[in-house]
Amino acid sequence: MFDGTPDEISKLIEPGRVHRKVYTDSDVFELEMERIFGRAWMFAGHTSQIPNAGDYVTSDIGRQPIIFIRHKDGTPQVLLNRCAHRGPKVCNEPCGNAKALTCLYHGWTYDTDGTLLDVSMPEGAASHFDKKDFGLAKAPRMGEYRGFVFVSLADTGVSFDEFIGPMKANIDDLVDRAPDGEISLDAGMHRYYFRGNWKLQVENVLDSYHVPYSHASTVNKKGEQFSRREGDKEGAKVIETKGKKEKTADAWKGRRSYVVGLGHGWTSNTELKEGERSSPAYDAYKEALAAKVGKERMEEILRPEFHNSLLYPNCSIMGLNIHVRVIRPISADLTEVTVYPVKLKGAPEEMNSANIRLLNVTHSATSFVQTDDLESFSRTQVGLQSLQSDWIDFSRGMGEEVPDEHYNATSESAMHEMAIRAQYQAWLQYMCEAA
Amino acid sequence: MDALGLPTSPAPGGIAGIDREQFELFLIHEGRLLDDREFEAWMELFTEDGLYWVPSTPGQPDPYNQASLFFDDRQLMKTRVERLRHPRIHIQTPPSRCNHMISNVIVEEADDKTGEYLISSSMMMGEYRLDVQRFFMGRQFHRLVREGDSFRIALKRVNLINCDTAFEAMAVPI
Repeated sequence: MFDGTPDEISKLIEPGRVHRKVYTDSDVFELEMERIFGRAWMFAGHTSQIPNAGDYVTSDIGRQPIIFIRHKDGTPQVLLNRCAHRGPKVCNEPCGNAKALTCLYHGWTYDTDGTLLDVSMPEGAASHFDKKDFGLAKAPRMGEYRGFVFVSLADTGVSFDEFIGPMKANIDDLVDRAPDGEISLDAGMHRYYFRGNWKLQVENVLDSYHVPYSHASTVNKKGEQFSRREGDKEGAKVIETKGKKEKTADAWKGRRSYVVGLGHGWTSNTELKEGERSSPAYDAYKEALAAKVGKERMEEILRPEFHNSLLYPNCSIMGLNIHVRVIRPISADLTEVTVYPVKLKGAPEEMNSANIRLLNVTHSATSFVQTDDLESFSRTQVGLQSLQSDWIDFSRGMGEEVPDEHYNATSESAMHEMAIRAQYQAWLQYMCEAA
Repeated sequence: MDALGLPTSPAPGGIAGIDREQFELFLIHEGRLLDDREFEAWMELFTEDGLYWVPSTPGQPDPYNQASLFFDDRQLMKTRVERLRHPRIHIQTPPSRCNHMISNVIVEEADDKTGEYLISSSMMMGEYRLDVQRFFMGRQFHRLVREGDSFRIALKRVNLINCDTAFEAMAVPI
């Protein structure tokens, strides 16, 4: 029987390898829901999704249904989507606008900040009943940075500043690309699931090693991936062929990986022909950006630094095919992923449209890229049932980590597995922290 | 009408005097090409500026400002089909086995002079792969242009009844 003592948990993680139980064991999963998804900072929504008072979107944090809603005083609120009376989910639509939230079962009605306004037939309430004790529960802690709203479901723990601080530059890198300095997440979403553990997707976000093989079907005979950005004539050089032998292209091998604590990290940009990037939509966008921030700053903003950034445990931001991704565990072997296209406010409509269209083929359920990743995750979950070995190896590049002064981070080749080792340090920290 | 000119309200029940069998046979042929994994021939059914759209929200007004499951022009379609032929497309190793059923065919608009037609139909596609069978179902619209004895597709829109759910990976067009 697994009790989840720090001693037991620590035995699952060794230098450069983890026990297969962290992916397959339902007791470990239950503890993760309590100690990681019940404690760490989770993406709850972006303020652009709820521009007006009463606007709401519903989603889930781990297994907890939530309502992300704009209160009538203008503040964003994150409420747990559970009637304080007998427990039904109060908001049943994916999004909408409400003056008040009424439970379908007995008609209890809540204000847009969760305050209980009315119960039906109040004359029947017990003498000790006080409406103040029965609001929709609020996420205990909430923090916002440039419209990104995160919550923690625990009263104490890592502060929002500690969580977001090292990753602000990565959010800025995305948001600064908008001529108006704001993004919006109102272009719908892609939703997909896979039969595998949530960490398989999280690890993959900062894994550049898998690309030449996993994504071979997206690479043409010249070794270049299909063009993934508006204005590019070709995609990244991934594979080089010498004679009959294929190998990872030098340009791809040059990518770096960075970690900054708490499991956070990112990979460096994908090398593309920036100077040759041009199309009517992209050129118009550059012009719109330069008009707002000046030519020099425009050029600085459009010099990409980050490919994928991970806000551990379950949110990533992509700089190449711009989107925000949220990874939602359902059970030890089932995970749902939501991908929000990013619209750059103040950019010409055709530029935003091009980004949305390209995301359809890179990060949707039908995409050229993500589908092969999902196949890897599902097959890993099946393979890990094998008792051949209890260990999964992440030792590539161990001992080659170097400090990076520019980013105040630790850096390593992105062909190696430092970022995954860093994620397991954070995993241990959350899992072993006293309640 | 949506941004691509398709009606958003129910059809009046077809147009009298138009033989719908020719359209029905064409739609069955299209589905069969997909079922037989004749992806290149399927792609060739589309006009050079043809579009293939599967929205991701019910009643989605346009494919430009919102995410879609599929929104391919011929260029993206070509990349998609080439990938489906790649020996290392892991999500199709082994490949899906699919079967389309087409029914409830209605001629929504017809212009014999220009040879342009709008056809709606109900579709169901079963897909089987690795011990899992699933079904896609919806109403689809085809804007067709007469070419010789047959037609080409200027626009295909498929409104899946579950378009906004979370899907397991979908590698083949529906």
